[in-house]
Amino acid sequence: MRTSYILASTAAAALVAAISPAAAQEVHYGSGDSVTVLQGFAPGGGSDTLAQLVQPYLAEELGGVTFVNQYQPGATGAIAWTQLAKQVEPDGETISITNTPMLMTNYIMNDSITYTIDELTPIANVVTDPGVAVVPANSPFQTFEDLMAAAKENPGTVTIGNSGVGGDDFFTSVLLEQAADVKFQKVPFEGDGPSWTAAMGGKIDASFNNVGITYPQVKEGNLRALVVFAEERLDELPDVPTAKELGYDVVAGSSRGYSGPAGMPEEARQHLIDAFTRVVENPEFQEAAAAQAINIDFIPGDDYAAFLKSQEEEFRGVWETIKDDVQAD
Amino acid sequence: MPESFLWIGLANVFVPVNLAAIVGGTMIGMVIGAMPGLSATMAIALLLPLTFSMEPETGLSMLASLYLAAMYGGSIAAILLRTPGTPAAAATVLDGFPMAQRGEAGRALGLSLTASLIGGTISAIALLTIAPILGRIVLNFGPIEIFAVAVLGITIIGSLSQGSTILGLFAGVLGLLIGTVGMDPTTGTPRFTFGILNLFSGVEFTVALIGLFSVPQAIRLMLKSEADREGRVSSIRDRMLPTWPQFRELLPNSVRSSAIGVLTGLIPGTGGDTASWFAYNEAKRFSRNKEAFGTGHPAGIVAPEAANNAVVGGALVPTIALGIPGSSATAVLLGGVMVHGILPGPTLMTEYGDVTYTLLWAVLFANVALFVVGLFFTRACVAVTKIPNRVVGPVIIVLSVVGSFALNNSMFDVWLMLVFGMLGFVFDEVGIPTPPLVIGLILGPVLDTSLQQSLLIGQGNWLFFMQSPIAVVLLAIALLSILQSTPLFPAIGRKLRKPREASDLGDDLPGSRE
Repeated sequence: MRTSYILASTAAAALVAAISPAAAQEVHYGSGDSVTVLQGFAPGGGSDTLAQLVQPYLAEELGGVTFVNQYQPGATGAIAWTQLAKQVEPDGETISITNTPMLMTNYIMNDSITYTIDELTPIANVVTDPGVAVVPANSPFQTFEDLMAAAKENPGTVTIGNSGVGGDDFFTSVLLEQAADVKFQKVPFEGDGPSWTAAMGGKIDASFNNVGITYPQVKEGNLRALVVFAEERLDELPDVPTAKELGYDVVAGSSRGYSGPAGMPEEARQHLIDAFTRVVENPEFQEAAAAQAINIDFIPGDDYAAFLKSQEEEFRGVWETIKDDVQAD
Repeated sequence: MPESFLWIGLANVFVPVNLAAIVGGTMIGMVIGAMPGLSATMAIALLLPLTFSMEPETGLSMLASLYLAAMYGGSIAAILLRTPGTPAAAATVLDGFPMAQRGEAGRALGLSLTASLIGGTISAIALLTIAPILGRIVLNFGPIEIFAVAVLGITIIGSLSQGSTILGLFAGVLGLLIGTVGMDPTTGTPRFTFGILNLFSGVEFTVALIGLFSVPQAIRLMLKSEADREGRVSSIRDRMLPTWPQFRELLPNSVRSSAIGVLTGLIPGTGGDTASWFAYNEAKRFSRNKEAFGTGHPAGIVAPEAANNAVVGGALVPTIALGIPGSSATAVLLGGVMVHGILPGPTLMTEYGDVTYTLLWAVLFANVALFVVGLFFTRACVAVTKIPNRVVGPVIIVLSVVGSFALNNSMFDVWLMLVFGMLGFVFDEVGIPTPPLVIGLILGPVLDTSLQQSLLIGQGNWLFFMQSPIAVVLLAIALLSILQSTPLFPAIGRKLRKPREASDLGDDLPGSRE
């Protein structure tokens, strides 16, 4: 007998106590079940966009499961993920949207954040928004090489905005600095919007962001994309070279997927993975994702776990080398 | 091309379902706004999933109406209960509650409603006509300029601490200090968090505000004997709307405050909470009757209320024109736009012009709906003053607990709210003014982030601030404001003015604000 307290996000403030009907050994999702999705960010953000896109399709594939979004913003997602790792019953009834690299950089950078990915069960990555470097339309930097040449000539003077210390864009600029042996003046903003806005207004030389976020402005000609940090050129920006092409081995971006707590029943995990697989193959879903410029990057199960692990290793290494620099400022 | 969208939008608004959405959004917004702790941003976020099944223009019209109505709704609790329903109504408490205490609750709410109508209408017109031009202004506000705005805002502490400047400054500095709690914006290092994860994102300003205003008031109500209640009860039949001469007298103040609201709304990172204080401060600065502020002066209600409704249009300008949200509420609204497969950005004005212009007209008509609905709803609200104190007090506490929990689904915030409640109670007992603390809390994080960013961009050169004309002008006004509240300034002013006539209060707009 177990009572779980689920906060329905639709009931403004009411704490709804729901007694879970599922028996302890039954781990198959079905009609009438409710699955709580912990969200570490406020409604309307990137995680929520993913949830609103994916969950209706996923609910159908799982035979009419009800998804309940529980928003617990704070500490760049760490509050929700700590709860997922440490407090939630591993019964498959609570999962969370996990963002890379924030999921790992949180605890790599802060000793007070104590969860690790070993305390989670990765289910599947769903989207990846590749990194991009944008400059204002009237920027003197016509190509990415111009920007890098300026950074080489006058180290530490080219100002590069990012979405915040610990975010993917911050680490992208660090990875690039290390790959090219240059030094930028990195300027952290509070989120992607303020960073590209500052670039658009010519307040900084360039901004490192994600393609999905800046694409409307690039399309309209308010921003120019100099380079994308993807494996291959992107369909929506065919003329923009990848960093790899130009000789900088930097592939980076912001990924979002789903994870459960460690010890989650294997059967439930597999059931979810199968449902996710059918969702991403659904043309209707693909169309809806494309309409929102969401770049599907499906990495199921063990591959997702391996992806998180390798990212953890990479970012731990990067942070070790720059830690003293950043925190001495 | 935009002209045709303009008329398509107008025609769309009159589709019955859209009109219903506007009226419905207005009603929900007003009720939510009136509840302490439930803010406009939260209301939009909660209603967002409901709008997914609607046509985009219907859903957006509903959310925009809700946003606008919540701004007025916030003043109802501020005036009747001395507990702002939304953070943007905190400044309304200063004059709204004293007026209600005199038994003129209806008049105070009427002033607020009228001011909201003016502010909302002016901003809606600005939105419909000059949004593309105004939107460009946003790009001129980088970290340096935002820093200058924050500095200017901090000087308001000076004018809010009348009585005891030292105590006012103390409260302001305490607010700024609490504002530094959380992760450092440029290094990620946690400051004053004591390892508590809930403090990593800083002290949630709304939580602090609920505690500071609501809890002391609840305690005060419960301690008061019922005999003291006489003064608090308002006649429900007293005149709500101002007479024509009164209205004319308030007009310059409303227009000035609306302009402040629109401009503050434009600047990313500052919203209704900031604008209302700016407007209050300017109303006081331009008034001949400065002493009356804080005692239930009509101008002290009109200024913040016109400003916070004008913020709605202002914040929508960059949202619509460029896809840059001007406030947290419009950021959530943008999320709603995306769910309909519309990418927020410049294409909103072109490709999706029909949806966008319907939204813009909806904002204009929502003001009318707000006024009509407000007249009826408000009359009912005045009845609150008839409820015994020992009932109202606990109800305020319950609403505060629920509100602070609902914000982030966090019990920690409830405790934090109660701690701030105790702090507010102590402040009241000792006679330390609370408003400067609120200003410090609002602007501290803005100041912190923008200063650090500016110094990074400027390579650590402090003179960098002098390179931006906007920043220089704003900082100069800030300096002037500081001088104005020292004893030195009036002395000089008198000397200069003596030869000429001492009245040059004609110009209304602080023209320097771009």
